[in-house]
Amino acid sequence: MSTAAVNSYPVAQGATARALPGLRPGLDQPRKARTPLSVVRSVPRKRRAPFVVLCFGLLAIALMAVLVLNISVSSAQYQLVQLRSEQTTLTKQNQDLTQQVQNFDAPQNLAAKATELGMVASVAKGQIDLSTLNVTGKAKPAVKGDAPGAVIAAPAVAGQLTVVPPATENEPLAQRKAADPENEPLAQRKAADTKPAETDKAPGAVKPAPAPKPAARAVELHGGSVPAPAQKTPGQ
Amino acid sequence: MAKNSGRASKAKAPNPTRRLRMGLGIMLALLLVVGGKLFMVQGLDIGGLAEAALNNRLTPTVLPAERGSILDSSGAVLASSVIRYNVVVDQTVNTKTESFRRFETINGKDELVKVTRDQGISELAAVLGMDRGTLRDALTGTQRYYIVAKDLKPDMEDKVSKLQIPGIVTEGTSKRVYPNGSVAGGIVGFLKDGSTGQAGLEQTQDEVLKGTPGKRLFEIGADGLRIPVGVDQLTPAVNGKDIKLTLNSDLQYFSQQAIQSQKDKLSAEWGVIVVQDAKTGNIVAMADTDSPDPNDPGKVAAEDRGVRAVTAAYEPGSVEKMITAAAAIQEGKSSPLDRFTIPPTYTVDGQTFSDAFEHGTEQRTLAGIVGYSMNTGTVMVGQRLSKEQRYDWLRKFGIGEAPDIGLPAESKGILTPADQWDGRQQYTVLFGQGVAQTTLQTVRAYQSIANDGVMLQPRLIDSYINPDGAEEKVPAKAPQQVVSKETAKQVRDILESAVTEGEIKEAAIDGYRVGAKTGTSESPCDDGKSGFCGYTASIIGMAPMDDPRFIVEVVLQRPKGSIFGITNGPVFRSVMSQTLRTFNVQPSTGEPARLPQYAK
Repeated sequence: MSTAAVNSYPVAQGATARALPGLRPGLDQPRKARTPLSVVRSVPRKRRAPFVVLCFGLLAIALMAVLVLNISVSSAQYQLVQLRSEQTTLTKQNQDLTQQVQNFDAPQNLAAKATELGMVASVAKGQIDLSTLNVTGKAKPAVKGDAPGAVIAAPAVAGQLTVVPPATENEPLAQRKAADPENEPLAQRKAADTKPAETDKAPGAVKPAPAPKPAARAVELHGGSVPAPAQKTPGQ
Repeated sequence: MAKNSGRASKAKAPNPTRRLRMGLGIMLALLLVVGGKLFMVQGLDIGGLAEAALNNRLTPTVLPAERGSILDSSGAVLASSVIRYNVVVDQTVNTKTESFRRFETINGKDELVKVTRDQGISELAAVLGMDRGTLRDALTGTQRYYIVAKDLKPDMEDKVSKLQIPGIVTEGTSKRVYPNGSVAGGIVGFLKDGSTGQAGLEQTQDEVLKGTPGKRLFEIGADGLRIPVGVDQLTPAVNGKDIKLTLNSDLQYFSQQAIQSQKDKLSAEWGVIVVQDAKTGNIVAMADTDSPDPNDPGKVAAEDRGVRAVTAAYEPGSVEKMITAAAAIQEGKSSPLDRFTIPPTYTVDGQTFSDAFEHGTEQRTLAGIVGYSMNTGTVMVGQRLSKEQRYDWLRKFGIGEAPDIGLPAESKGILTPADQWDGRQQYTVLFGQGVAQTTLQTVRAYQSIANDGVMLQPRLIDSYINPDGAEEKVPAKAPQQVVSKETAKQVRDILESAVTEGEIKEAAIDGYRVGAKTGTSESPCDDGKSGFCGYTASIIGMAPMDDPRFIVEVVLQRPKGSIFGITNGPVFRSVMSQTLRTFNVQPSTGEPARLPQYAK
């Protein structure tokens, strides 16, 4: 009740004896006995502000937590995608390298490479029994230039550079080095490097056939890489 | 003050309660409308919007099962699947895009560079190794899907993607590669459309290799990322099993090269070499001439794409004399040193038989008959057996019964029942004419002699390897005792004597005791022509004779030139010695058998 309202009432009315309203309950009097008024110190109100702040704080924290959670979940998702693609790349690389190894491992490629390096299969072998020191069989040295017999074609795995040179110079792989020389896999670069050298060695024999004539390869180079110029033998 | 203000407001709004109620009513009605709509949308999903939205987000993907590999006995890969890429163009996009921008690293900085279509095309042409004009034609047009290049390796695909040419995309495909090419190419076989086997083991083992494709169903957002909290159903793919063979690819190569050289040298139609482990029945090598490279099977003729060791039945010739001798010994009708007086020609039931070489009347042992491959003598020994016995013994040695090693079109040969034999056939079967069998059947018959009379069924598939790495051995089939151990030993001595004393001296290998038998038969013409067109020349042998480990058979069909000058001996010798060396077989001990070829 405002001070103005208190002041507008008269100080005392009617009988001075007061009747306590509490003593006559239930009595419906048109006019209530007035309670004498006094200035009462109001009970200190409970302060709500901290609670509200707390609530808002909690809300904010919860929102932040949800946000952070969401962000972390979706960034994990992005990371997952990135790792997956990394995994795929590595799988591809692995496959690629495995295939190169398998290609070099193929028996006919190994044999072709060996022939290229001037190796000849030995025909007759002997055995030594170490416990009895018996020698069985007559080992004969392999003869250089021995015909190794039929040549089995290198595997026609698409995209694999054959150890034996490709049939044509227009092979897609032969042209590839132009595109990106830095990232070229080692094997292909090596093959590309050795290629001109081979063509120098035996220009006639190497180029056309996928199965090279091994005889042409076994040119005696006396430690060098360029063969001596061929001379016509008289009478030819 | 309170009273005055109360009166003043009453004049304007007579009933606040009514007003409140009305407001509440309107609010409730609106809430009902909204709630009802919400219920309809969320609860009942009228119009299927939620479902449509979910379907829009749900992305089903098939997880392809990886096809199993085919390995040789040492684990070397004969067939496997790899990732390859096709370069695909949306021609409408590419044609209308005259220039495009892309990031390029120039001097260590990423810069946006404008690239014209022509430049893009020439760059792509360089990467793909295609002609620029051809590529331009391929990229120009109105097709929305056009395959420019196929089966690119991942590193090339990477380069293509980096060019960022509009309309060009790469798609991954699975590609079957055969790193060993034509080595065991016919056995491994090939696929017809990149997924289904068409020949060889790829065909017969298709179900095992294929596996079961899996499925994944998940929700995907507009940004192309999976919605983490959405539906995610995963049915993992079950990869196919790997198949491990008994073959040794080095020996396979060696044999293929040997038989190919022999075929080329003698201009034969085809040749076969089979190498078998006599102790286990494992086929170590099964070489064909002109065998296909499964990477490109079309390069060889259709008839060369199979495995002739199991598909080609031919009249074996004199190698069958071993069966006759074994049967006669086992039945107690003869023994290795049994004496026979052999006339220059021998006539029985009006059928006259002669030998490949001229001779007078000779005193021979059974060993000598086999060692010199005499038809006359073989008929004399064989007629001690009844027709049914001859038939039964051929059956017991597996003639007329296909070996099941898991290859397609395995032939069981032709062995007519004894009661349908004509007057001559009843004797010719004794020396391998009038009966047809495959090389592997011959090898199996000799294997039972090498293995003390116990026949083991040949094995080609050694085991299946599950995707988890567990290896399931393919169990060997039940062995059969064909002849007694003693008979087998006597027959082995006869075969060894054929090398030491008889006519097959060139089969001898230094340091190892070898037993062998040659066979030469007339080969009936193909295509229904009557008569014979050339010969089938073969040699089969085993080593080391003190404890036979390997059987090698070399067959050459219709070599050109005089048949008497033809020998497969050196081929047999080189393959056999290579086999013995590869498997580190100890040189022989003990005295070689030298049964006299002539009876004194």
